[in-house]
Amino acid sequence: MSGTEPLLSVESLTTHFHTEEGTVRAVDGVDFDVYRGETVAIVGESGSGKTVTSESVTKIIDIPPGEIVDGSVTFDGRELTGLSDEELQEIRGDRISHVFQNPQNGLNPVYRVGRQIGEVLRIHEDGISDAEVRRRVVDLLDRTGIPEASSRVDDYPHEFSGGMKQRVLIAMALARDPDLLIADEPTTALDVTIQAQILRLLEELQADFDMSVIFVTHDLAVVSEIADRVVVMYAGKVMERGRVEEVFEAPAHPYTRSLIACLPGRGSAMRRIEGSLPEATDPPEGCRFHPRCEYATDGCASGDQPPLYHVGGDGNRQSPAPVGGDADHTAACVYYGPAHDVSTLEDGGDRQ
Amino acid sequence: MATQRETDVTARTDRETFEEVDWDTQEVSTFNVSRTAVAELLAYGAIVVLFAYDYAVIRNEHPLIANWDVLSVEWLFVATLVAVFFHGVVPLYRNPRMREFYWSRFVKNRVAVAALVYLLVVFVIGIVGPAVMSPPETRFTNRIVPPVGITATVGGVVKTGTWQFPLGTTAEGKGVLKLIVYGMRVSMEVGLIGTVFTVLIGSVVGSLAALATALDIGWLDEVLMRYVDVQSVFPTFMLLLLLTYLFGSELWMIILLFGFFSWEGIARTVRGEALQRSSEAYVTAARASGASMLYIVQRHLIPNSANSIVIGATVAIPGFILGEASLAFLGFSDPTTFSWGRTISAGQSNLATAWWISTFPGIFLFFTVLSFYYVGEAMRDAMDPRQQIEGGGGL
Amino acid sequence: MSRTEPLLEVRNLTKHFPITEGIFNREVGRVRAVDGISFTVDPGETVGLVGESGCGKSTAAETILRLEEPTDGEVLFDGQDLTAFDDTELKAFRREAQMIFQNPDSSFDPRMTVGESIAEPLRIHGVGPRERRQTIARDLLERVGLAADDADRYPHELSGGQKQRVALARALVVNPRLIVADEPVSALDVSVQADVITLLREVQAAFDLSILFISHDMSVVREVCDRVAVMYLGEIVELADTETLFEEPQHPYTRALLRSIPTLDPGERGIDASLTGEVPNPSNPPAGCNFHTRCPEVIQPAELDLDQSTYRGIVDLRVTARRHGIDVESLRDLVGVDPDASLTDEQAAEMRAALRAEHDVPETVDDPEAESVLSSALDEIVRGETAAGVERLAETFASPCESTDPGLRDTGVGHPAACLQFDDAETAVDREESELTAD
Repeated sequence: MSGTEPLLSVESLTTHFHTEEGTVRAVDGVDFDVYRGETVAIVGESGSGKTVTSESVTKIIDIPPGEIVDGSVTFDGRELTGLSDEELQEIRGDRISHVFQNPQNGLNPVYRVGRQIGEVLRIHEDGISDAEVRRRVVDLLDRTGIPEASSRVDDYPHEFSGGMKQRVLIAMALARDPDLLIADEPTTALDVTIQAQILRLLEELQADFDMSVIFVTHDLAVVSEIADRVVVMYAGKVMERGRVEEVFEAPAHPYTRSLIACLPGRGSAMRRIEGSLPEATDPPEGCRFHPRCEYATDGCASGDQPPLYHVGGDGNRQSPAPVGGDADHTAACVYYGPAHDVSTLEDGGDRQ
Repeated sequence: MATQRETDVTARTDRETFEEVDWDTQEVSTFNVSRTAVAELLAYGAIVVLFAYDYAVIRNEHPLIANWDVLSVEWLFVATLVAVFFHGVVPLYRNPRMREFYWSRFVKNRVAVAALVYLLVVFVIGIVGPAVMSPPETRFTNRIVPPVGITATVGGVVKTGTWQFPLGTTAEGKGVLKLIVYGMRVSMEVGLIGTVFTVLIGSVVGSLAALATALDIGWLDEVLMRYVDVQSVFPTFMLLLLLTYLFGSELWMIILLFGFFSWEGIARTVRGEALQRSSEAYVTAARASGASMLYIVQRHLIPNSANSIVIGATVAIPGFILGEASLAFLGFSDPTTFSWGRTISAGQSNLATAWWISTFPGIFLFFTVLSFYYVGEAMRDAMDPRQQIEGGGGL
Repeated sequence: MSRTEPLLEVRNLTKHFPITEGIFNREVGRVRAVDGISFTVDPGETVGLVGESGCGKSTAAETILRLEEPTDGEVLFDGQDLTAFDDTELKAFRREAQMIFQNPDSSFDPRMTVGESIAEPLRIHGVGPRERRQTIARDLLERVGLAADDADRYPHELSGGQKQRVALARALVVNPRLIVADEPVSALDVSVQADVITLLREVQAAFDLSILFISHDMSVVREVCDRVAVMYLGEIVELADTETLFEEPQHPYTRALLRSIPTLDPGERGIDASLTGEVPNPSNPPAGCNFHTRCPEVIQPAELDLDQSTYRGIVDLRVTARRHGIDVESLRDLVGVDPDASLTDEQAAEMRAALRAEHDVPETVDDPEAESVLSSALDEIVRGETAAGVERLAETFASPCESTDPGLRDTGVGHPAACLQFDDAETAVDREESELTAD
């Protein structure tokens, strides 16, 4: 990664939800950076806090019951957590935009799609002419791969298929040429051939619009397909962080390893993870993964999640990774910290 | 959350397991009735027998039980209470967790809790009061006495109320308090009996229509629902006036007319809910297991429409109470029925001098109707499935 | 391999849904959800039915269980045709075949306890009393990895994975021989998915169950199934052993489907999105091979030898023109010509170029003869004579795939696929025979 400042820097972000059953620590001290032009994937299962993390950036979570308790989100040198709703609205859809999982819910069924995309332009550009709006909307639809864009601009959402609706939503997100696109499971609701089309499209558009992308997903295969760097989350914590090649070739954290091992259809035997996902209101103490971890020691069960340690490179292993220096491969596991022998993990791997 | 254990699908215990079921000996009788259903049927049977005995043997020559001469409305009311007991109280008693869940949501609405307490008091007094209290009697010596501690000039005579008539008396010398207590019974009878009939007819017609659709008998659904459409636009109140004019305005008559001409809303709701539920996977699962349509309607579709039915019922009750009071106010009521509407109407001419005659029943009518609305509102909130999504947001 | 009798044999199963109009329910069209599929499931075997949404796989499952009445075809269960069963026979069959669904949330009546839900099939089949049913249900709960006391819980108190375990218990409770599982793990998290798949395997081995596994997820199918049938628009396009299918896919659709799966190896990036467009509407499926509208390997007529992507582009153009028509007005708009003004040659050329660009047809096609046909046809189209242009294109560019329905035929590697590439008329085998050679 270049030495320039990151476009987005998230530091010890902590988001809680106050529910009847108790406080859900959905995001519990998450750090990661996004540099210009790169794709960072946040990957995790249900309850990992991946979506809340991505939605905390521009505070589109419901507040209350949600609350950003701690941490900072610096976007292009500007702190976002303290901004008012009005100030954030100027940033949302303009410099940072979102694409969501379900294309069915993203469009209002009673308005033509062209009008809905045009609305984004009208909100952010005072006095833009109707002709200009139409020209740009057609251009956007065309660039997102909608055939015969100039006539489809006047169609209603129900006249589009699921894949086409997702293209429309992407067009809407790109209307103001954002610096950062946050895509939350944008292909999960789609068929695999359509998913391939949308992933390819996102790759092309990223280069085209020169933007950074945060890609939130549960699907490791999609991560390996499109991301530059990956943040693996579990129960509100970052478990592992690093470049995609490093994480997939040599997954460091036992959770990442288990997650890859339980993927079906890789030819080798699929292995399940013992135990079940932790409860949102009552996550385990210590390393959040320790109840399901086959390498867990007594020490793993108390205190807080271990800090992110450097993986490999013996010299660095003795100290926690500096926050923000996340071009490196780090894992929140004591075996990479002082007083533990990382080779235990390798031995254990052989045993199975 | 349930704990997950190591699985051993072939583990055998000494209990009976599914492999041991001998399928050739099953299927002897699918007709099995639960003990509560038997109890309920017995209760209805007893009512019918007693009614027949009262009607054919005693012939109103002397009261049936002690000094209680059961009137026609009271037969219906007893049957209604039995129905409410078996379909409201028993399920709530049997499902402590469901009860606690709904209750914890209900109590969030403090006003509704107060309203519920008020209604329970009215209900209990309405049941017990007339049993221990002699009916209001016409005594011209007691004409228009003000409530206790109040001094008023009536017809040129200055009178002060005593404890004999705590809420004063009417122009006929009837105690207003007694009228109110007897009126509670009437209101509860009207509200509950009418609603039970509404719910019964509405659910049967609604589920029949849904069932017809599911079985591809489209014309039956069409006939039923078009009739529902007609009934919902029909000026029912006019019909009520006409029928009570023609056949007399006895209370049971009015209640049955209410019940028979107000079920269209519930029928529509039940049909809609049932159709919606019938596309759920658990209905397909039951069908794939060999369940008949009747079983599915009975076990899945109607129970899952229960919330909407209860909500519909809570709206119907205050409507019926107000409706009966209006009819009584207009003079369509039996002289032996101590309806609040009738008392209010009777006090009208003396409103300037004897304000208490109309005012006290009016206050009770007002609070009773209002309380039903509040309780209904809170029940709707407590049972609204859209609010049952647990907290945590977009985790 | 010595063949046992298949437990389930589906022969030419067809399910059409009529589209009706007006008060007399006049039939104006048919959705061909399932259009003549044949396959078998052996005892103890797992057969996958895969395809994208709208390919008819779920309708096929429901029709096989006669939850939907088939329009045509036969379903033999243990040698008996269940499409001819009367109510009593059907109810007896319902005990032998059970179903598991995709959505764990709607799979259970929210007002029934877990125990009641599991015991429901027993109750339907007359096993009583209640206490006996509950004993059986509690025992089963323990065997699928939950606690016996979970029988008293309500479905909303369980997680998705636990609900799928309960679903499996409910399916097992009548000791069936066949389970039809419709996307049973698609709604679950990856780690939970692995859990449920493991359990499904254990159960299958323990009770020698046959499973018909419906899924859109090729990875899960590879993990779970012994044989796989790939469906497209209501038809089976390829049927093979799982490993053969993944290693040597024969049908272009299977190949495209496999290529579009993202890989776990970042070194082998570059997802293949060669399958453009979307599944056509099954109420109006394309003639011939119904995949020809999207097929990357669509066969060129004998006289032509164009670059495949060029030919694909021309077919796309023809498909669009035929199925939706060409929007000449927006083309004019694009070039900036008033709707009523006549076109200059330059403007027409510009519009032709735009049409080519839109369908990825190069500016000139290598074959001069083809090029001249193409450009005169395009000229007719941009001048509003669409029908004539389409006609002209058809004369030169019509693919045999548009007119001939391939049907499942021998591919030479041992399993059948429905593609004209294997156009050896002699080897085109009867569907039922091809079924027998499948493994």
